[in-house]
Amino acid sequence: MAREIAVASGKGGVGKSTVSSTLLLVLHRAGWKVVGVDADADAPNLHLIFGMEKWELERDFEEGFIASIVRERCTECGVCAEVCPFDAVEVVGGMHVINPMVCEGCATCILACPEKAILRRRTVRGRLRWGRTKYGFPLAGARLNPGRPNSGRLVEEVKVMSRRLGGDDAVYIVDSAAGIGCQVISSLAGANAAVLVAEPTPSSFSDLKRVHTVAMGFGLPSALIVNKWDLNPAMAEEIEEYGKRENMHILGRIPYDPAVPKSMSIMVPLIEAFPDSPASKALKEISEEFLEEIMGNWDEWRFKHAPRRIPQYRPIIIKPEGLGGP
Amino acid sequence: MRKVSITGGKGGTGKSTVAVNLAILLSRDRDVVLGDLDVEAPNDHILLGVELENESPVHVMMPFIDYERCTKCGACGRVCDTGAIMAPVGKPPFVFPRLCSGCRACFFACPEKAILEGRRILGSTYSTPVPHGGGFRLVTGMLREGEEHSSPVVLAARKRADEEARDLLLVDTAAGTGNNVSIAITGSDLILAVTEPTPLGAHDLSMILELTGEMGLETWVVLNKAGIGSEDLIRSVAEEHGSRIVERIPYSREVVNSYISSRPIALGDSRALAPYRRIAELLGGVV
Repeated sequence: MAREIAVASGKGGVGKSTVSSTLLLVLHRAGWKVVGVDADADAPNLHLIFGMEKWELERDFEEGFIASIVRERCTECGVCAEVCPFDAVEVVGGMHVINPMVCEGCATCILACPEKAILRRRTVRGRLRWGRTKYGFPLAGARLNPGRPNSGRLVEEVKVMSRRLGGDDAVYIVDSAAGIGCQVISSLAGANAAVLVAEPTPSSFSDLKRVHTVAMGFGLPSALIVNKWDLNPAMAEEIEEYGKRENMHILGRIPYDPAVPKSMSIMVPLIEAFPDSPASKALKEISEEFLEEIMGNWDEWRFKHAPRRIPQYRPIIIKPEGLGGP
Repeated sequence: MRKVSITGGKGGTGKSTVAVNLAILLSRDRDVVLGDLDVEAPNDHILLGVELENESPVHVMMPFIDYERCTKCGACGRVCDTGAIMAPVGKPPFVFPRLCSGCRACFFACPEKAILEGRRILGSTYSTPVPHGGGFRLVTGMLREGEEHSSPVVLAARKRADEEARDLLLVDTAAGTGNNVSIAITGSDLILAVTEPTPLGAHDLSMILELTGEMGLETWVVLNKAGIGSEDLIRSVAEEHGSRIVERIPYSREVVNSYISSRPIALGDSRALAPYRRIAELLGGVV
């Protein structure tokens, strides 16, 4: 059976890609068949950590539409601007125009326009791509075109592509985007476990809780890594306490280490570039524990660290007035 | 009213640190509103050490079917891009709330006016007075955990910030380069792209400069954490896109500590504040 492990953090820049790249490399060297999945389409970086120079395959991913106004038919009545749920219609020099960087492509203005003066065309939302790292294992990813809606479907497509590369017996490490929106939800959906990364700052702690709530909603067992722990040992402790209370596996701590950005600068994974640096040593220990306790004990581990509570997600919906019944 | 947006592409480069410190510095002689439009991970209130106030829900339309009027024509299902309405011709339509984006296309498509407009709450906006500096207002957008569609919350928070701003609006955006960012920075007079001297910072900077270039927005690059890596790459990416590095902020433990303790350095008088002061002055000159 395939194993899909999502690495997430809520807050950006706390070390997701560093953790993902290390796990990939260590698992690969321990004989596991691995595939890297870069699910951060609007800031994709995992390939840079591995110093990948080319993609084996790149193709456009078409999804959604962009609307535009046919000048000759438009009477500048402004109905489109009133109905656009995204405020994408702007008035420039007395003319209504649709800002393509904001339009999400729904048909609302097209249907509302009394002159039938609005058309929409299919758009390329981003590029799907995969390549092989110099260590031999494949990496799949995507790059969102600037200003396009963040797309859970793009992440799903990347996952489908990665499955073709790895098949049913590979380990998929999914490096997810910052935040808790559709990209992250699509990264967590379908995963078997989550590795959550935090740094000991109030912001990161707050974002960790938010992304963990979403991960729990999918019933995912989670492991926790505190990065740059020595910046604030007391809060590192507090975050780990939270993790223990929530039944997470506390995988370990990584110290702040200038070797991390240095390794990024030369585009070589940290444990390769500076194997004796403090962060490298910590990451290797974490990876060892990951291999033994999680990979070596997969089913029991998942059972043991399943969330104690699964928050049932319920949209808050307000019924229209005058509607009877349920 | 003038608007300056702080963005950068990569996460964790220091957007919020730059934003809150500039807000404090500029609020001493300007009427400032700071908009935290990173709705998936809003942190400015944490950095400023304030509790969010004045919550207001953000909702989008949620269709309800008036089955008495519905003629089962299937029009609503045909226009729904997200597959949230299953409406085979001749069968009563059925709405899947989770898939609905709230775009209202079905409302306009229905010839019988059988779509009633309910609402779905995606998150909240807040407006919080901040006592620091000369005092300013923080407008925050926050997506509900479990909701996927963040752009309506970004838009609602931007509108609330626009409404409250009189003189100068500073906007702090999410990481990335998608429409969460483009919606937030729409209407800006100037963009500050905060980056870090790593190939990752450079890569994502080039994506954000591509976005601001296409939107026709003047963009200055702020190089944060200077000293942790080579700056040549950042310089060449900036120049390639017709931008330039306006300030270097050296990596500083003091700044990290201020981040940890929810006490921005602009509240004190440390040497680490000098680059923020210079940015504030530069901004003062143009907006």
